[in-house]
Amino acid sequence: MVTPSKGLPRAFRAYGLAAGCVVLSTLCAHLVQPYGHLADQAMILLLGIVFLSLRSSVRTSVLASVVSIFSFDFFFISPKFALAWSDAESIVTFIAMVVVAAVVSTLSENSRRQEQAARATATRTQALYELNVELSSSRDAQELAAVTGRHLSKLFGGPVSVLLQTPEGTLPPAESSRDRVLSHSAWQRREFTKQTAPSGTSIWMPVVGAHSSLGVIGLKPSQPFELESEQGFLLSACVNQFATAVERVQLAGAVRRTQLEAEAERLRSSLLSAVSHDLKTPLATMIAAGAALIGRTGEIEPKAADEILRSVVSEGERLSRLIHNLLSVTRLESATVELRRTPESVDDIVLSAVERFNGRKVPIVSEIAADLPLISAEPVLLEQVLVNLLENATRYGGAEPAIAVYARAADGSVLVQVEDNGPGIAEHEREKVFEKFYRGQHASKSDGGVGLGLTICRSIIRAHGGRIGVRERAGGGTLVEFTVPFAAAREQLSREASLDS
Amino acid sequence: MNRSLLLVVEDDPEMRSVVSFTLRNYGYDVREAATGAEALSQIQTRTPDAMLLDLGLPDIDGFVVTACVRQEHEFPIIVLSARGEEQHQVRALDSGANDYVTKPFREGELMARIRAALRRPVPVAERRDLNVGDLRIDSTQRRVFVRGKEVTLTRTEFDLLDTLARNADRVVTHRQILRAVWGAEHVDEVHYLRVYIKLLRTKIEKDPARPTRILTTLGVGYRLVSAEALS
Repeated sequence: MVTPSKGLPRAFRAYGLAAGCVVLSTLCAHLVQPYGHLADQAMILLLGIVFLSLRSSVRTSVLASVVSIFSFDFFFISPKFALAWSDAESIVTFIAMVVVAAVVSTLSENSRRQEQAARATATRTQALYELNVELSSSRDAQELAAVTGRHLSKLFGGPVSVLLQTPEGTLPPAESSRDRVLSHSAWQRREFTKQTAPSGTSIWMPVVGAHSSLGVIGLKPSQPFELESEQGFLLSACVNQFATAVERVQLAGAVRRTQLEAEAERLRSSLLSAVSHDLKTPLATMIAAGAALIGRTGEIEPKAADEILRSVVSEGERLSRLIHNLLSVTRLESATVELRRTPESVDDIVLSAVERFNGRKVPIVSEIAADLPLISAEPVLLEQVLVNLLENATRYGGAEPAIAVYARAADGSVLVQVEDNGPGIAEHEREKVFEKFYRGQHASKSDGGVGLGLTICRSIIRAHGGRIGVRERAGGGTLVEFTVPFAAAREQLSREASLDS
Repeated sequence: MNRSLLLVVEDDPEMRSVVSFTLRNYGYDVREAATGAEALSQIQTRTPDAMLLDLGLPDIDGFVVTACVRQEHEFPIIVLSARGEEQHQVRALDSGANDYVTKPFREGELMARIRAALRRPVPVAERRDLNVGDLRIDSTQRRVFVRGKEVTLTRTEFDLLDTLARNADRVVTHRQILRAVWGAEHVDEVHYLRVYIKLLRTKIEKDPARPTRILTTLGVGYRLVSAEALS
C-alpha cells in the first residue's frame, strides 16, 4: 500500500540530506583547491547537486543549488569570504548549476512517480484478481458479502460491514447509531459518505448495480482515506466487482425460480393426463368386476369368482401404488419440502428395502461394507429409492433375474449400487429415464408403471445432497448408483462418547 | 373358548363393515363405533380386549382418543390409518398406541398384529425373568443368556435390551427408548441408539448383518421379535 507522507520528519530528512550534500561537496572542493582550477571546484559542487537531484524533489534540489552557488561564491571566488563576483564566467556557472539541479531532479521525480504508479496498479490488479477469484466461486449473496468483507478488511485494515438490501427494499441496520445514519445517507443518495471523528474515520460506499441499488459497504480504515486517491480507486473497483457478482447470483436465482415454475406447470399438466388415464383404468376394472358378482354369487363357479375377486385386489393394489407415487412426487417437488433428517445406518435402510422383496421369487444379494459411518437422511425416503430401483430391477431383469445391492464409502459419502442382468438402458436414454412420465423402450404398456419411479428417486437423492446416475453393468445389464453424504462428525459417535460405564 | 372382544373405531361405513366382517371370520367378538365419542362411551359400558382405531375421526382426533383411553385403560390399541408417514406412526406410538397398521393393509398382516397385541406381557414390576424366544433376561442379576450361553453386556446395552424385551413384538419409538435408557434430556440423540443397536446386534444376533431378533422400523423405532412371532 501507498503510505502517505508523515509530515515533519520526512521534510527534515530531505532538507538534512540537501544540507549534507552541499556541505560535503564544498568540503571536497576545498580539499582539491590547491591542485585545480576554479572550474574543477565548480564541477565538484555540481556533482553534489546532481547526486542530490536524483533523490530529492525539484524544490529541494533548486534550493540546494542556490545554497551551493552562494557557498561557491563565498569560499572560492575572489574576493574570498565575501558574497561578490565580477566575471561573467561565474554567472554562467551559477546558471548551469541551477538548470542542472532543476532538470535532473524533474527527470528523477518523474521516473519515481511512474514507478510508484506502476507498483500501485500492480497491487490493485492483484487485489482485484484475488477478490474476483473468490467472488466467482461463491453461490449466494451472503457468501459474496462475507468474501468481500474479508478482502476489504485485509486491504484497508479495520472492521468492514457489508449491508445488503433486503428483498423488501430496506437496509439492515448498522451497528452504531452514527453508522446507521451514515449508511442510510450513502444508500439513499448513492453517494460516498465519510465522517471523521475522534474515535476514527467511518466511510460508507454505496453498492450500485446496473439496475438498482444493492446495499452499502462501511469501512473504518486504519489509515487516513481519500476517495480521490489510489486507495479510493481500489475501493471503488472492489465495490463494483462486488455489485456485479451480487447481480449475477440474483439473476441466476431468478432464472432458477422461473425454470422451477415452468417445470411445476409441466408437471401439473402431465399429472392431469396421467391421472385421467392411469387412475381410471384400474377403477373401471374394479367396478366392472364387482358389478359382475353382485346377485350372482350362486350362479358363478367359485373358481371363476375367485379369479374376478383377485383382479379387484390386484387392480386396487396398482391404484394404491400409483397414488403413493403421485403423492411422493407432489411432496418432493413442492418448493417447501424439508427433509426430516436423522442419523441413520445404511445397513438398516438397505435391509429394510430388500426385505420388502422377500415374498418374491427374485433373489437379491446385498453386500454392505462393514463400519460405514452414519448418514444424515430421512430413512423412509431412501428406502423408497431402493424399493423403486429394486422394483425396476425385478421388472426389467433377465429371464433368470440376478439382482445385487452394494454399499460402500466413497469420498465422504456412501455409494449405493443396484444392478440387474436385464437388457440394460441404451446410452441415449440414461438421462431421460429420470424425467417425469418417461418410460424406457423396454417398458411394458400393461404393468401399471407410469414412469415416475426414477423421477422420485432423483428428487429424493438430490434433496439429500447426493447424485444418482445410470451406467452399464460390466457383463451386461443395468447399474443404477447413488450417493448420500455422511452425517456430520458430531453425529458419528463412538461408543466411548455415549455415556457408557 | 373365551373369545376376545375387539372394538373397531372407524368413520367410513364400508371400511368398518369390511374390518368387522374379517375379524368375525377369525372368531373375534366385534363392537363398532363411528366416532371418537361413541368409542369412549362404548369403552365405559364394556372394556374391550383391544381397540382398532382410525386416526381420521370426524369428532375427536385419533391421537387424543388414544391419550384419553390411556389415562384409565391398559388394553392394546392398534392404530389403523391411511396416513402412512412415519411421523404419524411415531406420534401415535408415543401417545400410547401399541401398534400401527397403514391402510391399505393385508388381512394376514392385520391378524398377526392383533394376535401379538393381545399377547400382552406381564407388568414389569412383577417380573424377574424374561424369556423372549431363546433369549433369557434375568432382570434382578442383570444377566443375559442366548441359547443357554451367557453374553456379557455393558450397562447401556443391558438397559437397551431390557427396554425392548419388555415391549417384545411391538415397535418402541426412538424417543421411548432414548428416554428409558439415556434419560429425558437425550430423547433427540438418535445416533446413540444407532451405535448401541449395532453393538447389541453383534452380541445377540446369529448374523448381525441380517438381524432377526432386533428389527428396524425405519423412521419409527425398533422391535424385539419373540419366538412366537417368529414361528
